[in-house]
Amino acid sequence: MSRPFVFLLRLALVALVLAFLFVPEAFRPLLEPFAPVGAPAIYDRASLLDLTISHLLIVVAAIVPATLISVALAILVSRPIGAEFLPLSRAIVNIGQTFPPVAVLALAVPVVGFGTWPTLIALFLYGLLPIFENTLAGLTGLQPAVAEAAKGTGMTGRQRLFQVELPLALPVILEGVRISLVIALSTATIGSTVAAKGLGEVIIAGLNSNNLAFVLQGGLLTGALAVILYDGLGEISRMTAARS
Amino acid sequence: MIRIEGLTKEYAGNAVVRDVSMEIEAATITVIVGTSGSGKSTFLRMINRLVEPTKGVVEIDGTDTREMKAYELRRRIGYAIQDHGLFPHWTVARNIATVPKLLGWDRKKIDARVHELLELLQLDPDEIAPRYPHQLSGGQAQRVGVARALAARPDMLLMDEPFGALDPVIRAKAQTDLKSIQDRLGSTILLVTHDMAEAIRLGDRIAVMSEGRVEQLAPPAEILTHPASDNVRNLVGDDDRPFRYLSLIPVSERTEEGTAEGTPIAADRSLYDALAEMIWSGREVLPVVGEDGSARGLVRRGALLDAARSVA
Repeated sequence: MSRPFVFLLRLALVALVLAFLFVPEAFRPLLEPFAPVGAPAIYDRASLLDLTISHLLIVVAAIVPATLISVALAILVSRPIGAEFLPLSRAIVNIGQTFPPVAVLALAVPVVGFGTWPTLIALFLYGLLPIFENTLAGLTGLQPAVAEAAKGTGMTGRQRLFQVELPLALPVILEGVRISLVIALSTATIGSTVAAKGLGEVIIAGLNSNNLAFVLQGGLLTGALAVILYDGLGEISRMTAARS
Repeated sequence: MIRIEGLTKEYAGNAVVRDVSMEIEAATITVIVGTSGSGKSTFLRMINRLVEPTKGVVEIDGTDTREMKAYELRRRIGYAIQDHGLFPHWTVARNIATVPKLLGWDRKKIDARVHELLELLQLDPDEIAPRYPHQLSGGQAQRVGVARALAARPDMLLMDEPFGALDPVIRAKAQTDLKSIQDRLGSTILLVTHDMAEAIRLGDRIAVMSEGRVEQLAPPAEILTHPASDNVRNLVGDDDRPFRYLSLIPVSERTEEGTAEGTPIAADRSLYDALAEMIWSGREVLPVVGEDGSARGLVRRGALLDAARSVA
């Protein structure tokens, strides 16, 4: 597909999502056929805009610390001094990934109570692995000649890390963040089962009251956000990769 | 001057470089030749401490390199490698500026130096400086790699198979250019190669390495005429010896009085080139001209063959 066409498609999707969030009433005729007779076609127990913002905030609040910790951990274990911690770090982030988010929610609720916290913990743990593995791959996958040149020109370890290794690994790291972000965005809907404020609330309300219109608007909105984020981050990582 | 004494590297008890000693005069090219696994790269990398020696001393102008911080030592020694190792996320200008930046030179001085080096290496600064390494040809990337190594006016230049990735035509040109740059700057160069022809063309002295030892350290002519061991003789190649020897002697040394017809040959080319020209054009005598194109005399085929025979 040509680039202007792709660009228009992106713009149209963003416009559609914004229109739905600000004037959901305009979409009533489209959703009405899916709602049971007499039931509301547009979710009315909370503003869709508020739910979306809260949903995105939870995702960001989980992925930002997951990124910081994963990248720091990957840097540590890729240095000679931290090499022996590699198997341990791998094990930890892998456990985060193997636990189903639902199980994390179930385990976290008795400890931290209902609300946003159990969801944050689940998304955080779930986000660690892709970022950690990608950062590690980026840092250790440096061309041997480039690594040799960085040493040979007299860069200190810190200079090699910040001037050569991290900038060259950046596209791969961003790719990991992108994967974690999209997984978190969709997984966050489950958080509504433990009373986290997000788009999952709309889907669950739809399932409880047999209202397909609710399920559709919650699901499609989450899906559209995932597509926009994935696409936007992909564009950024392409821009950083263009030079290398 | 570089003094190396008893340099040894062992990995788990196996010596890769054994007890190598040599002195390298300033403003000369010393070429280390050897087959792969002869320890020549390891030897080179011990000079800038990319490999820490097990035993032995390296002194640069009387200073023991072990007394310096490794990264400070490396900033004083230019390093050029086979796959150029340019940083792919930096422009050519930024790549060349690597060591001056690490040393904290000011911007103006760095810019001027980058400009000067690109011109020295016959690269158009306006065109090449803003490019990224992936936008360069193999030959250009190699020259930028050399410019980066020269950037901070290092005490010496270490080159590990610097022309290894180039095709034969560009390679020959790169060798000539390196020689003329070295003449002009008076750099001290230690170069590693597996190619004896390259060693003979570039080296003021050649060290032949085998199994971690230096078998012979001598000027090229002596390596050709008096190989110290079978290994050295094998590396030179018995069949090629007369031709290699001819490639060392400039035409001017066998030029005689007189005039001849046809395309002339420059006095600073080698007798090897002259012989090739004679075979190709079917002539017995070539006119010789100086750098400015003025007639210098002629060179005869008989004189060439006599010169080649003197090796035997």
